[in-house]
Amino acid sequence: MNILIGTIVIWVGVFYAWQRLGRTGQRGEALTAAVELLKFTLPRIGIALLGAGLFAELLPQDQVRSVLGKEAGFGAIVLASFLGPITPGGAFVCFAISAGALKAGAAIAPVMAYTTAWALFSTSKILAYELPLLGGRNFMLRFAVTWPIPLLVGGIVYFLA
Amino acid sequence: MTHSLKNTAEDQAATAAPKPKKRKIFDGGFLVLVAMTLFAAIGVIAQKGLWRVVEIFGETIVFAVTLSPKILGGVFIAAAIPLLVSNDKIANMVGGERGIWGLGLAAFLGALMPGGPMMVYPLAAGFVVAGVDAGALVAFVTGWSLLNLNRTLIWEMSFLHADFVLLRLSISVILPIICGLAARKMFAEARA
Repeated sequence: MNILIGTIVIWVGVFYAWQRLGRTGQRGEALTAAVELLKFTLPRIGIALLGAGLFAELLPQDQVRSVLGKEAGFGAIVLASFLGPITPGGAFVCFAISAGALKAGAAIAPVMAYTTAWALFSTSKILAYELPLLGGRNFMLRFAVTWPIPLLVGGIVYFLA
Repeated sequence: MTHSLKNTAEDQAATAAPKPKKRKIFDGGFLVLVAMTLFAAIGVIAQKGLWRVVEIFGETIVFAVTLSPKILGGVFIAAAIPLLVSNDKIANMVGGERGIWGLGLAAFLGALMPGGPMMVYPLAAGFVVAGVDAGALVAFVTGWSLLNLNRTLIWEMSFLHADFVLLRLSISVILPIICGLAARKMFAEARA
């Protein structure tokens, strides 16, 4: 059901983009770009989905539940917020780990804190792009105002649940 | 201090191409992923035998086929966005608005940005050179980090349930604007 809803939402977007591209005569260009992107994306999604399934099988469910499960409380959100930024690799690694952890019994709140912390503070992104391109001061300013976000997002989900 | 940092961004913006190089299909990130998956496969074979790996492989194929319409649609939208909204247009819009509306627009355009950090940070460095205020810069980068449409459609929606993704997005949607306001205040205090 969830997959169906997501698919419908995405295809409404595709239909809208297709209409707009038709007006500018860019449909062919968009399809070529989509094929290029697909060549990059498909191998990653395929391997990452397989990795997520294998990873979930290896995670010790009892330990995942006690460290990241519902009973672990707010501490799990703090732990997950630290784990996010040190995750190596791109989005596929982060989301594969998230899916694996949920399968193995992690609660939603820490997993959401984890993905949010990774999205904001992925160490590889900061070291390779943000510090060299924007400079230390701009990074520190962004960090100063955004560091509580993973805890906040995880906390809201924790209290909603 | 501000001057030297502006120079950092200026130098980088001058040397950094606004458009990313064509991405290699097999890069370092992909090799990390393959290595992690192989190690996981070896672990599962050691713990539960080869047959369990074959079963998981079969389950993954069924899941991937179920996901494929979503993945194809997501990839098409991600490829179409740069054609519908150009980088120049984004830069002009982010620099052209003030107030909370400016922050909201910066966050929204950040969310629309296609591609990864190799695409976004050179553009953001260009904003610094163009004198875009600190709040809009923070709102743009935070909007891209938290609400990135491209990543959400292709990756997040593939691995996580739609209700997880929608909950995360609805909690996060206002945060880039709040962070932009906080950054403006902090920047103004630091200069005072």
